[in-house]
Amino acid sequence: MRTITILYHEKKKISVLFMEIEESYDVIVIGAGNGGLAATARLVLSGVKVLLIEQHNLPGGFASSFVRGRFEFETSLHELEGYGPADNPGSIRRFFEKRLNIDAEFLEVPEAYRVITKDIDAKLPFGREAFINEVEKQVPGSRESVTNFFALADDINAAFRYIGKSQGRPDQKELLKNHSNFLKTAAYSVEEVENALNIPKKAQDIINAYWAYLGIPMNRMNFTLYAAMTSSYIDRGAYIPKLRSTEFTLALDKRIRELGGVILYNTRVEKILVENGKVIGVETSNGDKIKTNQVISNASQTLVYNKLIYPKSEVPEIAYKEVNSRIHGLSAFVVYLGLDKSAEELGIKDYSYFIMGDMDTETLYNQWNSLGVPKGQATVCLNIANPDSSPPDTSIVYITTLFKPGAWKDVKPEDYVRVKNDIAKGLIIDFEKALGISVMDHIEEFEVATPQTFARYSRTYNGIIYGYEPESWDSLVPRLMMMNDHYYIEGLEFAGGFGRRAHGYSSAINDGELAALFVLSKLQVKIGVGVNK
Amino acid sequence: MTEKEDKLNITVKSNNKDLYSFMKLVPTRKKRIEKASNEPITSDPINHLARRLHPERQYMIISEIKEETKTTKTFKLIPDPDSETKELAYFRAGQYLSLKVVVNDVLITRPYSIASSPTDALNGFYEITIRKESHGFLTGYIWENWKVRTKVESSGPEGFFYYEPIRDANTIVAIGGGSGVTPFRSMAKAIINGNLDAKLVLLYGSSDQHDIIYYDEFKELESQHPDKIKVVFVLSCEEVTLQGCEKGFISSEIINKYADVKDNTFFICGPQVMYDFIDKELQKLNIQNKRIRKEAYGEIKDIVKYPGFPQDKADKTFKIKVKIGNISKEIPAIATESVLVALERANLAPPSKCRSGECGFCRSLLISGNVYVSPKCDGRRAADKKFNFFHPCSSYPISNLEIDIPRDI
Repeated sequence: MRTITILYHEKKKISVLFMEIEESYDVIVIGAGNGGLAATARLVLSGVKVLLIEQHNLPGGFASSFVRGRFEFETSLHELEGYGPADNPGSIRRFFEKRLNIDAEFLEVPEAYRVITKDIDAKLPFGREAFINEVEKQVPGSRESVTNFFALADDINAAFRYIGKSQGRPDQKELLKNHSNFLKTAAYSVEEVENALNIPKKAQDIINAYWAYLGIPMNRMNFTLYAAMTSSYIDRGAYIPKLRSTEFTLALDKRIRELGGVILYNTRVEKILVENGKVIGVETSNGDKIKTNQVISNASQTLVYNKLIYPKSEVPEIAYKEVNSRIHGLSAFVVYLGLDKSAEELGIKDYSYFIMGDMDTETLYNQWNSLGVPKGQATVCLNIANPDSSPPDTSIVYITTLFKPGAWKDVKPEDYVRVKNDIAKGLIIDFEKALGISVMDHIEEFEVATPQTFARYSRTYNGIIYGYEPESWDSLVPRLMMMNDHYYIEGLEFAGGFGRRAHGYSSAINDGELAALFVLSKLQVKIGVGVNK
Repeated sequence: MTEKEDKLNITVKSNNKDLYSFMKLVPTRKKRIEKASNEPITSDPINHLARRLHPERQYMIISEIKEETKTTKTFKLIPDPDSETKELAYFRAGQYLSLKVVVNDVLITRPYSIASSPTDALNGFYEITIRKESHGFLTGYIWENWKVRTKVESSGPEGFFYYEPIRDANTIVAIGGGSGVTPFRSMAKAIINGNLDAKLVLLYGSSDQHDIIYYDEFKELESQHPDKIKVVFVLSCEEVTLQGCEKGFISSEIINKYADVKDNTFFICGPQVMYDFIDKELQKLNIQNKRIRKEAYGEIKDIVKYPGFPQDKADKTFKIKVKIGNISKEIPAIATESVLVALERANLAPPSKCRSGECGFCRSLLISGNVYVSPKCDGRRAADKKFNFFHPCSSYPISNLEIDIPRDI
């Protein structure tokens, strides 16, 4: 502890108790986003001495919420995949409930989605059979092919379970024998496999609605990933935390502290100190120099290699090459509306809307390169799944679209509000038209998040909310199969949306858990911690 | 999984091609990595703009001081040439700066609305107008110490008290009391400068004509732009000699006289007594919630008067065990002062900005004990309440406390 001059311009020192932390930890986790929280929670559960450092003053990263007037908005979550009902829990519910026993309540989302394009208006239910029936109703003759889509998804999920068990070292013969459908589709795009399954075009458009959650066109999106995600949603349903995402992130924060973890908020890691190819500690914005031989970074590889590793000479050339070879994903644009009428009064009946000009995903994706009003939005009315999420006779609607960050790079500060408001207005009008309703006159609270906003709070590279784009060559399968090749610096592990499982809340959480398990197995050897079963 | 009878056997291109494509995945990925550039990424335009819009700190110096009234001064602030601040952040008229000042060896913050126009920020300056309070801890210090070239540190522009064209009506009825008029000077200038496409009707309450800030400026703006700006001075003193003003307080009658209560948006900024008064007057006029925008309430000075405050605790002093970073310290705290003030008095340099429970910058964990939070200033998230996080700036200790606060970033 020492006193420091807080204000650079005050000549005198003031006696502020401003401490620099100089302890050492088994593991330091950088960033309390979904991946960082999950990794930390999993480590402290096994008795590891962990310090979690977060630059913001609350956990969650994009999994957050904010208050405006009498409304509290969900920052980014539409619906959590992989949670599932109590009698068919997904990996997230198993982790949160069984393993961690965190104090967070989740509510079931009533229906899968309503997709509205210029020639489709379909409301899709959860449950495989009901879903297939609805697609068949919309597109007679599609039943067999859509059923096969899900059968293929089952094969893929079974293969993933096997690969998981093999710890990334699957036996080729076993794969060939029992998981051939997985092998034969792993290198293909959604478009290629759906065509091979003879799914009629219109049925493809309907079942491809979730594409916005991964943000890469169907002719480039890896089928394996998409099928796994879609089948998980449809089979297990989707859930949302009752008190917005802050509920589960604070529940994780609490559990971490109960288990002896230390969390530092308002503290930014500025350097990961490396010596002779090994992590030796971190330095923070508050002047802390903290020793550790193991870092798990929830910050992306892009930021770690280009900004955090110190000295720069410790960054191997291959690390820059790896980052540069990958395609950075999208940032988001969200319009948050606190409306002074109930959803019922406004005529909003569904929770989740995918409103697309048409389902030509490549054209839609290309629109995100420029600053127009994109003809694609994913819109949620929170009150449909969570009636008490705003005061009586009000409702919350948030409209999300995506952008390539580059589209925003030349915006000047003085034009920023006009630019974002023009886009917001266009999106609201498109929403009104699609539903044949009017909300514009009922806006009591209005907020917009742009790529700059996401950058402001998270400092992700270019404000990106998704990770690296999962084209087939860089999708789950090759990432998992190559995961042992990426340890360029000893004691440096990654977790989160830029991780092995690609982006999305549940992928980031799963990846955080996985990162913790890898670190645990290393620590077991080193310091002999026990892994609780 | 049980094997299905008629197991699907997918072929995308051909059996061999499909398997071959799979085998090629890892080699392809390796090749792509090997072929990629080895240049570091050095630019991040989106974070760059985010920091220009929302700097964590702005380092400035005073370039001019103007005496507005006997008790108010306007300070013109420009970037400190000796600092990293090279430009001042653009803002939306109505936003404030959280000043960071060391007063008698104690580091405190205070929010002040920016009184100049957003265009002025592009031209390299902000103006803030400060009224000297009779027992003001900070303002007394400022009157004695702030001179031309004094260094001033602030946050970036903060707050949500600004005109929002998608939400608000085209006419702003601004109700300002005392030094609460400052954001409306910014709005008026923004309208004239073309940053803000709206009309402004300002109902400006003062105790007497000598207390009116910017009188000449407002008169000039009004005469030059009669289609856009209308200013009504409302004086509450007994004897009023000023021509063309309203007498008394800003009542529902006066509001009704100058505003279209069905189709205007009301912006309110002033002392807390004025908020409480205006609330009742606006209720009489049946104005929709969405048409009323209020600046943050400010730190409550007479908390004992608020409903639910436990009167038997009013004269008590409690102990707060504070955990900050990796140290713990026990400090005294008076029930009628916010926890934030106790932390500042103890020189723990806690983070804060709005001091009204709104911005969440001081958000901390209440480990044990009880605090009183005024419903007027409760900006906590629902989950914050569930997990005992609180805003020290709007919470008053009513027992001994144990808290964990973050260090300022």
